[in-house]
Amino acid sequence: MNLNSPHSFSSALPGRLVRAGRLVRVFMAASAQQALAYRANFALSALHSLLKLGTGVLGLLVVFGQVELVRGWSFAATLAVLGVYLLLGALRDLFISPSLDALAGMDGEVWQGTLDFTLIRPVDVQFLASVRYWRPFALLDLALAGGVLGVALARLEVAWAPGRLLAFAVTLGAGTLTLYAILLAFTGLVFWSPGFLFSWVFDGVFQMARYPVGLYPGGLRLLLTWVVPVGVITTVPAQALAGELAPGMMAAVVAFSLALVLASSWLFRAGLRRYASASS
Amino acid sequence: MSNVRGGQALIRHTWLSWMQHRSFFFLLAFGWMIPPLIYLFVWATAAGGGTAGGMTRGEFVTYYLVLIVVNQLTYAQTNWTVGDLIREGSMSRLLLLPLSPLYNTLATEIAGKVVYMSFVLPVTALLALWLRPALALDGWQLLAFLPALLLAWLLRFFWGYWLALLAFWATRADALLALQDSLIFLLAGQVAPVALLPGALQVAAKALPFRYMIAFPVEVLTGALTPAEVGLGFAVQGGWLVVALALYRLLWSRGVQQYTAVGG
Repeated sequence: MNLNSPHSFSSALPGRLVRAGRLVRVFMAASAQQALAYRANFALSALHSLLKLGTGVLGLLVVFGQVELVRGWSFAATLAVLGVYLLLGALRDLFISPSLDALAGMDGEVWQGTLDFTLIRPVDVQFLASVRYWRPFALLDLALAGGVLGVALARLEVAWAPGRLLAFAVTLGAGTLTLYAILLAFTGLVFWSPGFLFSWVFDGVFQMARYPVGLYPGGLRLLLTWVVPVGVITTVPAQALAGELAPGMMAAVVAFSLALVLASSWLFRAGLRRYASASS
Repeated sequence: MSNVRGGQALIRHTWLSWMQHRSFFFLLAFGWMIPPLIYLFVWATAAGGGTAGGMTRGEFVTYYLVLIVVNQLTYAQTNWTVGDLIREGSMSRLLLLPLSPLYNTLATEIAGKVVYMSFVLPVTALLALWLRPALALDGWQLLAFLPALLLAWLLRFFWGYWLALLAFWATRADALLALQDSLIFLLAGQVAPVALLPGALQVAAKALPFRYMIAFPVEVLTGALTPAEVGLGFAVQGGWLVVALALYRLLWSRGVQQYTAVGG
C-alpha cells in the first residue's frame, strides 16, 4: 500500500475518501493484530459479553414476570429496545469508544500531554481521533445483540413489510450518528476541563437507554430526549421496528442527528483551537 | 503490631487527600447510583397506580432510595485498594511499615465512605423530595437496621478482601470480578427486591452471601420482613461473615509467605 502515491496529495473528494478508506483498513488491521496477540483476553471478553447479555435479559424477565405491560410496553417491545441498546453499545465499543477515549479518557492523550504527537500527523484530527483504535472482540457483542433483536422480532409477531425494515435501518443509522455526536461533544469538552471524565457521565446516562424512554417520569424523559438524546438512540429504532413510528417523526430524528453531528464537530474543533501545546 | 495512633493519622491523611479529588469520586458514585435508579423508575412505572408483586409505587421508591445509600455505604473497593497494590508491587512498602496493611485498607475504606457519602446523601435527599417515597418506620426496624448494616459492610469488606488477595497467586482476577458483579446485580436486590425474584433465583439469593451485603439491611428498614425472617437473616449473614473472615486469614497468611514482587 503506497500512501505516497500522487493521489494521496489530491484534495479532490474521491481521492480523499479512498485514502480515508485505506487508513481505516490499516487501523483495523493494526488493532486486530494487537488484540489477537493476547488470547486470554478473548475468553475474558467473551465472558463479559455473555454476562452483559445475561443480566440484561434476566432483568427484563424478572420485571415482566410480575407484570404484563409497563406503560404500554410489552416484553417483546422492551426486548427490542434492549437489543438496540446492546447493538449500539457494541458499535460504540467497536471503534468509537476506544478511539475517543485514547484522546480524552483516563490516561488519554490530553491527560498525559501527548496530544501534540497526534496533532502533527498529516490527517484530519477529528477523523484520526474517531477511527484510530478498534476492538475486534466487540464483534461478539454485535452478534449477540443481533440475536436479541431477532428474538424480539419473532415475539413481536408483526406483519412483515420492507418499509419497516428500511425505517429501522434508517433510524438505527440516525441513532449511531447521534451516539457518535454525543461522544464527540463530550470528548471536545475535555479541552475546557481536562481533568473531568465526561465520557463516564455519558456512560451513566446511556445506561438509562436500555429501557424505553417512555418509562421514565416527565422531566427525566425530556432530559433523555432533548438534552442528552439517548432516547433517540434506542427507543426510536425499536418503535420503527414495531411499526409505531410516524414518518414525520422519522424525518425529524434524522435531521436532528445530522444537526447534532455538525454541532459536535464544531465544538470539537473549537476545543482543538483552544488547545495550547503541553510543554515537554 | 497495634499502632493505633499511626493508624488514626493514616486514616485522616487519606480521607483529606481523597476529598481533594472529589469530582473524580463523585463521578464514580454517580455511575454506581444509576442501575438502582433505573430499576426504581421501571418498577415504579410498572406498579403505576396499583401494585406490582405486592408493592406500591411509593414502597418501590423507598426501597430503592434506601438501597442506593446502603449500596454505597457497603461498597467494596478492595479490588483496587488491595488487589492493585499487590499486582503493582506497592504492597512491599506497606509490609515494611510498623503498621498492619489492614490499616491502609481501612483508611482508604473510610476515605471512600466520606467522599462518596458527601455526594450520595444530598442527591438521595433531592431524589426523595422529587419522587415522594412512602415511609412507615417501626422503632424495632430502625434498631435492627443498624447492626444489619454494620454486618453487611463487614461481610462485603472481608468478602472483597479475600477475593482481592487472590492477586497473590493470579495476576488477573477480572473474570471472577465480572462474575461477582453480575451475581450481585441479580441476587443482591438491585434488579428487583429479593421477594419478587422468581423461584430458583429467590432461593439462590437467600442462600448466597450477596443479598446479605446489600438487600438485607434495606429489607429490615423498609419493614418487608417478619421478626422471624430477620432473625434467620442475621444468622445467615453471620455465618457468611465467619466464612469470609476465615478465607481472609487463610489467604493472607499463605499469600504473604509466598509473595515476591517486582516494582513498587
